[in-house]
Amino acid sequence: MSRRIAIVEDEPAIRDNYSDALRRHGYDVAAYATCGAALAAFRTRLPDLALIDIGLDDDPDAGFALTRELRSLSPSLPIIFLSARDSEFDIVAGLRSGADDYLTKDASLPHLAARIAALLRRSDLASAPASAEDTIARGALTLDVKRMSARWNGTRVELTLTEFWMVHALARHTGHVRDREQLMREANTVVDDGTITSHVKRIRRKFQAIDAGFDRIATVYGVGYRWDPDV
Amino acid sequence: MKLFPRVALGIRAQLLLVLTVFAAIPFLGVAYIRELEGVLRDAQERELAGTAQAVATALHDRPRLFDPASQMLMKSGQPPLDLVDAAAATRVIADSTGDLDQILQGLTRTTARIRVIDRDQRVIASAGTLKRMQDDLPLPDFIERLMHPVYALVLAQPSEDFREEPPGTISPARREVQSALDGIASTERRAASDARVTIVSAAYPIWVGDRVRGAVVAEETTNALLAARNHAFERLFTIVLATLLLGSLALTSYATWLTSRIRRLRNDADAAIDAHGRVRGELAGSAARDEIGDLARGISGVLSRLSDYASYQEQMAGRLSHELRTPLAVVRSSLDNLRQTAMPAEARIYVDRAQGGIDRLAHILTRMSEATRLEHALADTERERFDLSALVQACVDGYRVAYPARSIEFTPPGETAWIIGAPELVAQLLDKLIANAAEFATADPVTVSLDAAPDSVRLAVDNLGPLLPAEMQGRLFDSMVSVRAGARAEEPHLGLGLYIVRLVAQFHGATAHAADRADGRGVTVGVVFARG
Repeated sequence: MSRRIAIVEDEPAIRDNYSDALRRHGYDVAAYATCGAALAAFRTRLPDLALIDIGLDDDPDAGFALTRELRSLSPSLPIIFLSARDSEFDIVAGLRSGADDYLTKDASLPHLAARIAALLRRSDLASAPASAEDTIARGALTLDVKRMSARWNGTRVELTLTEFWMVHALARHTGHVRDREQLMREANTVVDDGTITSHVKRIRRKFQAIDAGFDRIATVYGVGYRWDPDV
Repeated sequence: MKLFPRVALGIRAQLLLVLTVFAAIPFLGVAYIRELEGVLRDAQERELAGTAQAVATALHDRPRLFDPASQMLMKSGQPPLDLVDAAAATRVIADSTGDLDQILQGLTRTTARIRVIDRDQRVIASAGTLKRMQDDLPLPDFIERLMHPVYALVLAQPSEDFREEPPGTISPARREVQSALDGIASTERRAASDARVTIVSAAYPIWVGDRVRGAVVAEETTNALLAARNHAFERLFTIVLATLLLGSLALTSYATWLTSRIRRLRNDADAAIDAHGRVRGELAGSAARDEIGDLARGISGVLSRLSDYASYQEQMAGRLSHELRTPLAVVRSSLDNLRQTAMPAEARIYVDRAQGGIDRLAHILTRMSEATRLEHALADTERERFDLSALVQACVDGYRVAYPARSIEFTPPGETAWIIGAPELVAQLLDKLIANAAEFATADPVTVSLDAAPDSVRLAVDNLGPLLPAEMQGRLFDSMVSVRAGARAEEPHLGLGLYIVRLVAQFHGATAHAADRADGRGVTVGVVFARG
């Protein structure tokens, strides 16, 4: 049975392009132009993944409200924000309202497809037992590549898909500097330097919430970032 | 059209100038008092003439008055009558003329001297004196006493110190006397013999039957009138001077208040806009309900609109990039879809080109919104204390990788340079300085320098290349201002780099500046941080 993906997007050309591309990848796509139509449909049947535009129906923040509604219907449904805006505020507000990931409309369709596949896989495997060959262990850090989840000293760190891929890219080559270009490529995203910086900041904060003394991600000014090995 | 010469006159000076109109008031007063003086003189003459007529009327048809017996008294060489004891003198004469005594009795109280003469101009009777016995003016108040010496310099003062004609004689050939003896009443005005006072004199004939037997001569000095006139003058001038003084004081203080408000407004308006024409802050405005309050509110409104416009302009890049992202996404997703369909090989070339163009456009948009994102990010950026020297060293190491074609020189200052701020923002600032320098450099090297002063650290990047155009100095750090010729076309140049430098510098309380190098071969752009 094919996966059902809901697209809520008010720009018809983008909506149709995304729908076509995802159908080609074998997904069952339901596209909605308005918040109301989408919510009415979600109440009857929940999709397997939702792709929501932040600005809908002339309300620049309608997507946040829709996400909260959807999150109350299903706590585990993967939700991706799609926005023409890429300001720090939007990203934070989007993730706070319950989205799993955030993409600007600059992202190419292959990037989008990769992200959707990864998120679906993560939600499928969330309950399955982890096997040793899927994990990368770097001292206190354990990365489950299959489930795309991270643990620090055994405690789960709630990372978005983008953040997980960034941590993965850094930790795979411990001690080596990863420049912004590499981080973007490995995270399947196209963002600017400033957004990379704020992603890294958020990752640090999430680890520091578990371990106040966390200082493994070093900034190499002018180049990129580095995951420092255990001393 | 120059109506007024270009003289810098303040509002206060202008008001005082207007006030000089009131200087005409004293002249009006002088004219009025002169007029009044004339009327008083006429009245005095008429009064004297009346007195003379009244006395003469009482003496008509009394031939006894002029009989030799009584005249003998006068001719017996009796010394001149005591001037003060005029009443007694009257009595002596009146002994022989009982009626005359009664008539002249009541006249001694007047300020005039009344004499009766016969046809031979011999004085038969005399009463009163020309000299006034006491000052009949009201006691002057303090201000009048104070001002009196000043007025005394310009106003003729009445004097009681003059030589009075003895009562028993009368100077001959006085016209009014002659005229009266000819039967015609007449009034004359003459100076006293020592010219110190003016004496008004009226003569009226005394008839006995149809013959003129004598005359009554009434005389009075103009001193009383002069004193009254002077007093009026003094009062008038004192009042006018006081009014002018008070008026100019009030107007000057009012003008001072006005000008201080206007000057404060001017200073506020000046301070609200910095040297680059950027609005620094709102004007406080004013609650005053007059025109200056209106003006303050007007300027405040203009400034806030200007500030709105400036921030609109600064956010325009971000807004524009946001607006363009949706159509860009349409093109991009369409191209992505197109790639998935079967198409001829030659079509693929064009799709690739379109893709290349779209990627470039996306890159431009990202850079355009960078400043806006930075502004948002600055709002919740935490500050920490860090060593600028170490940061610059680390960054320069990175730039040597990022700009392999350029030689980047940096000599560490050999000491730490602690500042307070956000290291990643300062790194971003340095990125922009280096990008700017590399873009305009026509020759190696790009030099990064860090000069530590006791309380500040100056970070500067030098490049060899075209100089700054003079007309754009001071606008370099504005949004979307790109001024140097010779930018290479491979990177879009939006003039946002130095704007970001300014934003980050502002966040650190630092100042950014750009100038041509002292040797005239290139440009230095730098930022001065306060040491933390």
